[in-house]
Amino acid sequence: MKAGLEVHVQLATGKLFCRCPAELTEEVRGTFVRSLRAVSGENRQVDVAARFEFERSHRFRYEMTGSDCLVEADEEPPLGLDEAALDAALRLASWLHARIVDEIQVMRKIVVDGSNTSGFQRTALVAVDGRLAVGGRDVSIPTICLEEDAARRIAQEGETVTYRLDRLGIPLIEISTGPELASGEELRLVAEEIGSLVRATGPVRRGLGSIREDVNVSIPGGSRVEIKGVQELRAVSTFADGEAARQRWLLSLRDALVARGTPPRPGSPVAVDGELADVETGPIRRALTSGGVVLAMALPGFAGRLGRSSDQPFWFGRELADHARGAGVGGIIHSDELPGHGITSVQVERLRRRLALDPPDAFVLVADRDRTRAERALERVRRRAEQAFEGVPGETRDPLPDGTTRFSRPLAGQERMYPETDIPPIALSDARIARAAAPRPKGAAEQRECLQREFGLPAEVARVLVADGEAPAFAELVRRGHEPAVVARLLTQDIAEAADGRERVPAFSLDVLSSLLEALRAGRFSKEGKPAVLRALLDGAPSVDAAIAAAGLTELSEHDLEAMVARIVATNRPLVEARGLDAFSPLMGDVMREARGRYDGERVAAALRAQLERSIRSARPGPPHG
Amino acid sequence: MDRPRARDAGDPLAAFAPGDAVEIREPTGRVWRGVLMPRSEFSGDRIVILKLDSGYNVGIRLVSGATVSRGERPGAPTPAIESTAPPSLAATASDRSSPTGPPVAVLTTGGTIASRVDYETGGVRPVESADELLRFYPDLAGRSTIQLVPVFDRLSENLTPDDWVTLARTTVAAFARGARGVVVTHGTDTMAYTAAALAFLLEELPGPVVLTGAQRSPDRPSSDGASNLRAALRLASEASFGEVVVVMHAGLSDDRFAIHRATRVRKMHSSRRDAFASRNVPPLGFVENGTVRWTSDVRPARAGPPRLSGPLESRVALVWAYPGMDPDRTEAFVHDARGVVVAGTGLGHLPENQLPWIRRAVDRGTVIAMTTQCLEGRADPFVYATGRELVRSQVVFLDEMLPEVAYVKMAWVLGRTNSPAEARALLLADRTGEIGGRRVGADG
Repeated sequence: MKAGLEVHVQLATGKLFCRCPAELTEEVRGTFVRSLRAVSGENRQVDVAARFEFERSHRFRYEMTGSDCLVEADEEPPLGLDEAALDAALRLASWLHARIVDEIQVMRKIVVDGSNTSGFQRTALVAVDGRLAVGGRDVSIPTICLEEDAARRIAQEGETVTYRLDRLGIPLIEISTGPELASGEELRLVAEEIGSLVRATGPVRRGLGSIREDVNVSIPGGSRVEIKGVQELRAVSTFADGEAARQRWLLSLRDALVARGTPPRPGSPVAVDGELADVETGPIRRALTSGGVVLAMALPGFAGRLGRSSDQPFWFGRELADHARGAGVGGIIHSDELPGHGITSVQVERLRRRLALDPPDAFVLVADRDRTRAERALERVRRRAEQAFEGVPGETRDPLPDGTTRFSRPLAGQERMYPETDIPPIALSDARIARAAAPRPKGAAEQRECLQREFGLPAEVARVLVADGEAPAFAELVRRGHEPAVVARLLTQDIAEAADGRERVPAFSLDVLSSLLEALRAGRFSKEGKPAVLRALLDGAPSVDAAIAAAGLTELSEHDLEAMVARIVATNRPLVEARGLDAFSPLMGDVMREARGRYDGERVAAALRAQLERSIRSARPGPPHG
Repeated sequence: MDRPRARDAGDPLAAFAPGDAVEIREPTGRVWRGVLMPRSEFSGDRIVILKLDSGYNVGIRLVSGATVSRGERPGAPTPAIESTAPPSLAATASDRSSPTGPPVAVLTTGGTIASRVDYETGGVRPVESADELLRFYPDLAGRSTIQLVPVFDRLSENLTPDDWVTLARTTVAAFARGARGVVVTHGTDTMAYTAAALAFLLEELPGPVVLTGAQRSPDRPSSDGASNLRAALRLASEASFGEVVVVMHAGLSDDRFAIHRATRVRKMHSSRRDAFASRNVPPLGFVENGTVRWTSDVRPARAGPPRLSGPLESRVALVWAYPGMDPDRTEAFVHDARGVVVAGTGLGHLPENQLPWIRRAVDRGTVIAMTTQCLEGRADPFVYATGRELVRSQVVFLDEMLPEVAYVKMAWVLGRTNSPAEARALLLADRTGEIGGRRVGADG
């Protein structure tokens, strides 16, 4: 396997081309609707990837928020590059020993999937030829770019895709490695090393989605395939290994197809509404009932090659369906899954006769209410089927939650780029570069070792702290006097647990984390109460005090604790009288329920024991007066 | 393309021109390979712009000792695909309904709607041919009912009153050739001036005259030019009326377009798509999802044939009133004008130190008209003393007529009469909906 990485890290400066905050929000203030057109670039050609997206003919609905302005709405020219973001990129470039360009030219990279209102992403090449030492060898870093993030995809209904503008324009530093990594594990190590270095540049966003990776994979005889937008560092290796396996499978499929010696020429689309008029159920019936068409296309030589088999997680019917969907149809039906989908074996035979198929031949069906769309879908199926005789087509794929990927579009060429003429070139003098300079931080391996040695952290905890970029936060919190183990637990586990299932995790400032730890140490809430306080902070509590109050853990005095324990003991008088000090265990459960994390368990236990003793003493007859 | 300008005697780039593949070897041994690009006019000294294989342009400083040699061209470019309109929009049923009906003439004048990025200067410049325009708007080419008539290829700030007359004459000719309607593509900066000029210059209009433009150039995927043009074409080819209107985005969305009366419309924002707004009156109507909906009375089509009612007087000045304005400077500015339109403060006021030059000008036979720079509301001379003094000086108050419209109308009026008294009367007489009517407090 030969693999490379592109790591994208969001910066927490302002936005790159306007002065809006780089913050995500749930508050939508208005919407508007747009369409985009494929246009020709500098050399008057339309990029194949742009053309592809544009054939999907979507309508785009945009949600405006407090984190965007007329620049994101494509209603005002961009302002100059955010200086702090440029500083971060320059700092990183010098740490990576890269050659910084003398003049930055912001480019427009055509993207007409609607994720940019303008129809292009603004991006600038800042430096080239960097290198990064990982595991004793130098990994090449051919490019370091500064670019704007795209709008957040919120929903799709029919042909209308909804995006939110809050994320559009957030600065991203993009670091690419050479295609020289040999395993998923190596990819993961490099991704972690890059992540921790970028985080050390300064203002970097934290939380899910703040780092995204594109993974490029090829195997001998295969092609470059790009898996775009992997959100977790550790998933990088899964997707890379999976893609290598998929390419091996495609090569073996090619060998099998070529061995059959059939001519690689799929037929032309044929309308088969008549052959299938008596289909009673399923997608074909639905299409016919709603006035649509059913088209069939022969795939000579593909019989038995389209369906699922038990020994592979891949099947070619799925590849074809993914391509067909790109033209806007719901999917395809292929002959390896028939009879089925409401189609009987009699109807299958009719279709095979109509298409004049031999036994090794397969066919696909597309049903849609729009004939042109169905034809376009079959054209894509035809192209993809022809590519099967060549091997692996170069393409871009989307990562899916189950660890597999799905075709998204062809690889883009250089026609996608033309200059952003609204922004004059930015000269990078030596003085400008020096202004951004900062000493290079330790590498990931060095940081891990340091955490283990100086703070006695277990290797795994040190690894997670460094990989998540929390090592500097950890060191600072410990410097402020907090217990290393408690700090490490907070940063690596507690926040993640409290945030479980949330789409958006705000980054806590060090001051908030420090006052949280301080409140915990002072006993203002117990470790049992910690998740509730964290959840309140995640919900937007403005301070730790407010979070404690919102969690219902407002501090009770020693007196309040005693009063509560006394009340519970009094209510359970019969139990106490019957069992004496043995009533402790059953009552402890009641008391802890009520204490709900406000007090440490040991304090509660001591108070209960004392109260029980007092209660038993007072119930006994007093000593005789003598 | 021009060669990059020579740098010094030993210019290592002397043998190369933009478009050439080059290899730049720096003294450090670093080699840059790419295609030489035109320099931006804002590029620094000794900076060379290269397009790298990745598609990125970067600026490289040619340091002493760097050598430049001919490089290898990157791989053959992929076959060209012409720009196309979204199929969902290009192929709506009614666009194809009457391919043989009376034609619509599209007069192109330049402006953003017909401009493309100039990579040399970094700015946008007008396209040079109808062919180039058709590349942006291929759905025009597919319609046999459209006659493309290139008139100018200029940014609208460079158009003059003479050009307005030329455009009006071309419009008359288009109707004479059988057009049912006329669409004018125009730069947005002064589109409202041209619209008003056509409204005054054209008489007996037998069909729609629709001006439209773009706030985003058509080389951008998000350009509003195509959808504005489509709305304008729909109006010109399907609706029946006889006046000059401006059609542009009604909001930020690409599916709703406002129809503005030519003498009531103004560009109210420097960059938004919905920059154009009717002042003091609601828009005449809207084009929504391909359907025309009128909300006010539009002038019916006349039997024709249309006539040109010119010429325009060029000696007309537009003066903006402001605190501290120097009377000598103003007088020098207007000294040979036959007509002066003042955009006054508030209800139509000027500092009182301006009265002497006004009286001298009126005595010379200059026609002076007052409008309000508030844009909304009437100019009214009787509320304050300054206004009454101006009226005594024979300054004519033009109610809610927009300053630019008054400027255009002054040119038209003075092209028809030499009598200041008659000119003052004509200025106040409504010709094409530019003055009068009610201003209501509640919508609708």
